Amino acid sequence: MGFPYDTADWAVVDGAMFMGWGGSAPGIYTLIAAIICVAVLWMGNSSEKAKYEDAEK
Amino acid sequence: MEEQIAELAAQVAALQASAGVTNTMFAETYYYLTIPLMIIIHAGFLAYEMGASRMKNVLSSGVKNILAFAFMIPTFYFFGWWVYWAFPTGITLSAGAAGISGAEYASSIAFGWGESAQYMGPNIADQASGVFFGAFALFACTTASIMSGAVIERIQTVGFTILAIVLGSFAWVVAAAWGWHADGWMVTMFGLHDFGAAGLVHAVAGFFALGVLVNLGPRIGKFNADGTANHIGGHNMPLTVTGLMLIIVGFWGFLMACVIVPGESWSWFADKGATIYGTPITLSALAFNILMGIAGGIIGAWIYTKDPFWMMSGALAGIISVASGLDIYFPGLAFIIAFGAGVILQPCAVWLEKRGIDDAVGAVTVHGTIGLYGLIALGVFASGYPALQGEGVATVSLVGQIVGAIVFFLLGFVPGYVVSFILNAMGMLRTPEAAEKAGLDPTKVPAQAYPEGISTSPAASS
Repeated sequence: MGFPYDTADWAVVDGAMFMGWGGSAPGIYTLIAAIICVAVLWMGNSSEKAKYEDAEK
Repeated sequence: MEEQIAELAAQVAALQASAGVTNTMFAETYYYLTIPLMIIIHAGFLAYEMGASRMKNVLSSGVKNILAFAFMIPTFYFFGWWVYWAFPTGITLSAGAAGISGAEYASSIAFGWGESAQYMGPNIADQASGVFFGAFALFACTTASIMSGAVIERIQTVGFTILAIVLGSFAWVVAAAWGWHADGWMVTMFGLHDFGAAGLVHAVAGFFALGVLVNLGPRIGKFNADGTANHIGGHNMPLTVTGLMLIIVGFWGFLMACVIVPGESWSWFADKGATIYGTPITLSALAFNILMGIAGGIIGAWIYTKDPFWMMSGALAGIISVASGLDIYFPGLAFIIAFGAGVILQPCAVWLEKRGIDDAVGAVTVHGTIGLYGLIALGVFASGYPALQGEGVATVSLVGQIVGAIVFFLLGFVPGYVVSFILNAMGMLRTPEAAEKAGLDPTKVPAQAYPEGISTSPAASS
């Protein structure tokens, strides 16, 4: 991780400059972000269902 | 002498480099600024549907609209942007003639992992991908917002969010790939022309909403036993009308984002703007025709309804009705077409209501019906125009526009119907009757829209 170029100098930066470039980190971050979205929908649905059950009592 | 020529050449090279930097910064800034302008569309839809909700459902309507926006961005990042670049030639996902489509190309530029990630994050050598992605992501948000208003006051939040993702990060994106891309098969084979996305954004979203409404059903109390409809008024007409005006403001950004600026390696021209098809356009053309479209739509709606809600809906319908040909309409013709849209707007909404469809804000009519009206109107008036840049290309025709209208209708209605049918079967579509009657805000929103009620204060003495 960290600076994605061999030399810690902005002068050598000629393309991607985000943390993790050149390794597997971007893919892992993207996957985790996608999992968060799915999990939030799952939990949100459970919470919503519980509210509706309360309303029906 | 040679020394002077060399010095002059160096100065010219420096000037060219400087002009190139300025042009690149202009292009990047141009698309960057379309993004906040398009967020105004979302702000407008938020106000619009909150105003159109009864007081017991105001915040619930707002929550689902905000969530649609929030989920649209990452899902468009995860796969929507890839769909746009992969699908232009059809479901084969093969490469097209322009060399900027197909699964292989999409996978090389539009995924947030591997080598492709360099175009999906900060990159000092790429000042285009992020702003293009942003503009398209906001187009996606617009489609979700269009559907959002139609289904208020009885749809479940998570079920709605899933529908918004299907619409915004897949259904309309396929329509855009097929009809809003130089390799799009509807463009190359049928000469489809839909510059401002009347069909591929508005009609797709409007008929997606219709597919959902069929399964969702009307709000309790909307229809009587004999099938006649009751008007369910929103709690705040001024908020709704102001929201509509905000949408119209934002659409200047939306339509501005449909222009390809000149002078960059990815531009169509060195010296003039182009549509996404590579045909020439100017911002002046947009200024003429958007304004005439707004005016025609308002006047057409006023002559028939005298109602500010329909007048502002008429303004939106006016823009949508001329959106396909904003680049080539003469302003007087744009006014006439938009006037027609304003006149037919409310009767079309009433026609739909008589068939048992409870579209709370008229979204199916304003975006769906008028979107197709605009798409076909262009076929009537613009036949023979080259649909693309280059020799021997397909030309605009009535048949081509009708084919586009049918495809866009199906790309909206079918996924809207099928996904909402599945959600309904899973118990994730409609709110229970008790919650709907009590109101969705007291049921599930831990906040009050108007904790002190809406009261008036006496005026100060003069």
